[in-house]
Amino acid sequence: MKFNETDIINIVIAGTAGQGVITLKRLIEFASQKANIERNFGSEMHGLAQREGAIMSHTRYQKKIFSNERRNLHSSLICYGDADLYICFEPVETLRRGIFASNKTSFVINDRDIPNILVTADMEEYPSLEKIKEILSGYNDQVFFMNATELSLSNFNSNQQVNLIMLGFAIITGKLPFIEVDHYEEVIKEWLRDPDLNIKALHLGMEKGKGIISA
Amino acid sequence: MNNLIYVNLGNSMIKDTRFTQSEGKVLMLGNEALVRGCLEAGVSYVSQYPGTPTSDIGEYFHQVIRDNPEFGEWLVHHWAVNEAVASSACAGAAWTGCRTFNPMKHVGLNVASDALSVIALNGPNPGGMVVSVGSDPGSLGSHQEQNERFYAWMLHLPTIEPHTPQECKDWVKIAFDLSEKYDLVMNVRTSTRSAHSRGFVELGPLVPGKKSGEFIRNIPKFNSLPPHAINNHIRLYERIEKLREALPKLGFNRIVPGENKIGIITSGMPFGYTMEALNQLALNDVPVLKLGMIYPLNYKQISDYLQNLEKVVIIEELEPFLEVKIAEIAHNQRIDVEILGQKFFPKSNEFSTGLVATSLAQIFNKKPNEQMTKAVDYFNSYKEIIPSRFPTFCAGCPERATLYSILKATNNLANTVISGDIGCYVMSFFPPQQCSDLVICMSGGLSAAIGMSTKTDQNVIAFIGDSTFFHTGMAPLAEAVGYNSNLLLVIFENSWTAMTGHQDDVLRFLINKGFSIEKICRAIGVPWLKVEDSYNPKKLTNTIEEALKIDGLKVIIIKRECGLQAHRWRMSQIKSLQEDGEKVQDVSYFIGGCSLCHECSRILSCPAIRRVTTDGIEEMQIDQDRCIKCGVCYEICPNGAIRKSIINVFGEEVPFREI
Repeated sequence: MKFNETDIINIVIAGTAGQGVITLKRLIEFASQKANIERNFGSEMHGLAQREGAIMSHTRYQKKIFSNERRNLHSSLICYGDADLYICFEPVETLRRGIFASNKTSFVINDRDIPNILVTADMEEYPSLEKIKEILSGYNDQVFFMNATELSLSNFNSNQQVNLIMLGFAIITGKLPFIEVDHYEEVIKEWLRDPDLNIKALHLGMEKGKGIISA
Repeated sequence: MNNLIYVNLGNSMIKDTRFTQSEGKVLMLGNEALVRGCLEAGVSYVSQYPGTPTSDIGEYFHQVIRDNPEFGEWLVHHWAVNEAVASSACAGAAWTGCRTFNPMKHVGLNVASDALSVIALNGPNPGGMVVSVGSDPGSLGSHQEQNERFYAWMLHLPTIEPHTPQECKDWVKIAFDLSEKYDLVMNVRTSTRSAHSRGFVELGPLVPGKKSGEFIRNIPKFNSLPPHAINNHIRLYERIEKLREALPKLGFNRIVPGENKIGIITSGMPFGYTMEALNQLALNDVPVLKLGMIYPLNYKQISDYLQNLEKVVIIEELEPFLEVKIAEIAHNQRIDVEILGQKFFPKSNEFSTGLVATSLAQIFNKKPNEQMTKAVDYFNSYKEIIPSRFPTFCAGCPERATLYSILKATNNLANTVISGDIGCYVMSFFPPQQCSDLVICMSGGLSAAIGMSTKTDQNVIAFIGDSTFFHTGMAPLAEAVGYNSNLLLVIFENSWTAMTGHQDDVLRFLINKGFSIEKICRAIGVPWLKVEDSYNPKKLTNTIEEALKIDGLKVIIIKRECGLQAHRWRMSQIKSLQEDGEKVQDVSYFIGGCSLCHECSRILSCPAIRRVTTDGIEEMQIDQDRCIKCGVCYEICPNGAIRKSIINVFGEEVPFREI
């Protein structure tokens, strides 16, 4: 998919509290500044960060703005069906935010489920991964899963690197145009604790992502 | 994942310079931009009670003062005990000639309104005072939804609505100039969406605030009692009219021109949805008047705009606030224009581009965008299977454990009413515990219980947390003591304002000075008082049973630190002991021989416990990553299936700290 510099790029990041949704959103936004993106306006959710809730953020950017302001990015929320990319840290959270997806959307999804307390209490059902895949295949064939939690645990002995692995995975879709890997690395060095580890996770996600997306 | 350093971490190693660098273009949230704007405006006193979406404003001020001690020489930030205290404190500082900033959430304005109604009448001069009310259309982080814009009319609170972070920063600066110039309390109104949307901000020069001022006696101005009350009211009208006259030069409002005879008037975040909806529907000739100042309105600009139109569409979230005033302007000026607003737009919930586009398609008789309608239809075809994921108490939360004991002591709330309140425990009403029957406002639970207990023989249990106890809780407690109300008050003393993110607030300072809720309860004359620990669920259950057998007022204080903070503290202790080469006990809990009785998942419902199927056998499992080792599930498992394991038995035991 080729993007024009004046296109508005729309990214939905979804997950559960504590998975790093907001951190990833900020990384992409700060990296977009390094890439001289002219407009950047995205919304994030605060306030219930530690309480098991469902978290979503919208990242939106426009490399070059039109002189006609009517065609530019003005809202920090994506319109229904207009997302270019979904980065999802939990399978069912992809469905919860599904209203922003359409046949132009690419999906990168961590396959590790986090059941809510009512599923644990056997008062609600968590849909099977097969069912989730079947629903998402109704959009297009650009639906990709990765065992990012397992990769993070086995490579870094912690689940804290899932978001950087998922960023690497997302880059491979080509749906984060105009921002180069160097830009992410710069931002990681400026803002994150343990930058070497996080850069490693980013590259691990890219490497594994290539295997999944080209397959 | 706390790997972004500047996010709510006290141990910042890398300095976030966005608030204090002298120039440049930076990415900021609306709230961050407000703080930068204050620093460019020479604000020297800030007071607020935390509440979504404004809590993080105070955190940024704290960050600035912590990382840049030179700012602390003239800048003071207070976490007030409640919003009325914060507003009066800001007025007091403004009356010494300083610039003061007073953020609050929309319901905070209800609490502050008593104070603000008088402060607005008196006027903030010789200083300047700006409030920033964070509204919450869609109730994204609040216990209710209200259109607090109507306070602008009642209190004569000139109200500015920014859309982008750049506007947040620039306009709060202008608001201070206007506040000083016209002796008016200004409001820069945000929403949960604008407060937490990020965009580019061009920085301006920083201006240090006043380190000190002086109060100069002026009895008529500062005593709005007869006869001065009426004079100040007249003076307030005059001040508002002067501001209205100045409006055309202030540049808050702007028009996106177009030839269509149907035009739009909007403000704040809905402007963004409107522009993108118009573009999506290829309505490129529709004029849009974007109002930056929504009270007072620029009558002339609006009537000139209406003159050219056959219809005007008012796009605003919640109850029609602009619409009624614009209808009034059209009526008074005899302008024949049809006004469309609430007929096509809902009066509740947050708007979106999709919603605005759908309504505009109807108004302009256009076919809605196919990509959008298909997306909505497909989503609707599968949304039923999505399991709920509401916020809940953290793993190891002492409040969750208290609810367990209440459910046991009352035989699953038989003949019992729980009068809930605001704090983390507001989440008590969610399933499976469903342990809160009503919520009113901060300390409204205890107050409701006082009245209810005079009319029913049911057990009446009221909740309150320590921060809410300070906010407004001591007054109804005194009343309950006075009337010896037949109720049980459960006070969650977890030593933090936990719900809003553990701010370093006045509660912390009081705790450091040996403050105790128990002492206050005794001093106020509570006749029956017990201090309990919900990590000892059997004892707590017995105490609740005992309390419910006694007539009159009973208070149980649950003294146990917030699980999140307790866990953080314990992990840091363990880490430093290990770094010193000490052996530390490694405690964990695991499940074996689970009979799926669901005591832990339905009555305690700890999120660290999950149901798994291994080799076709269903059982519960404890997620070691999330378990904080509070041991409550171990205490309550009726089958002894939850086991405790200790590695390094002879190592040092690190218990949770006492509060």
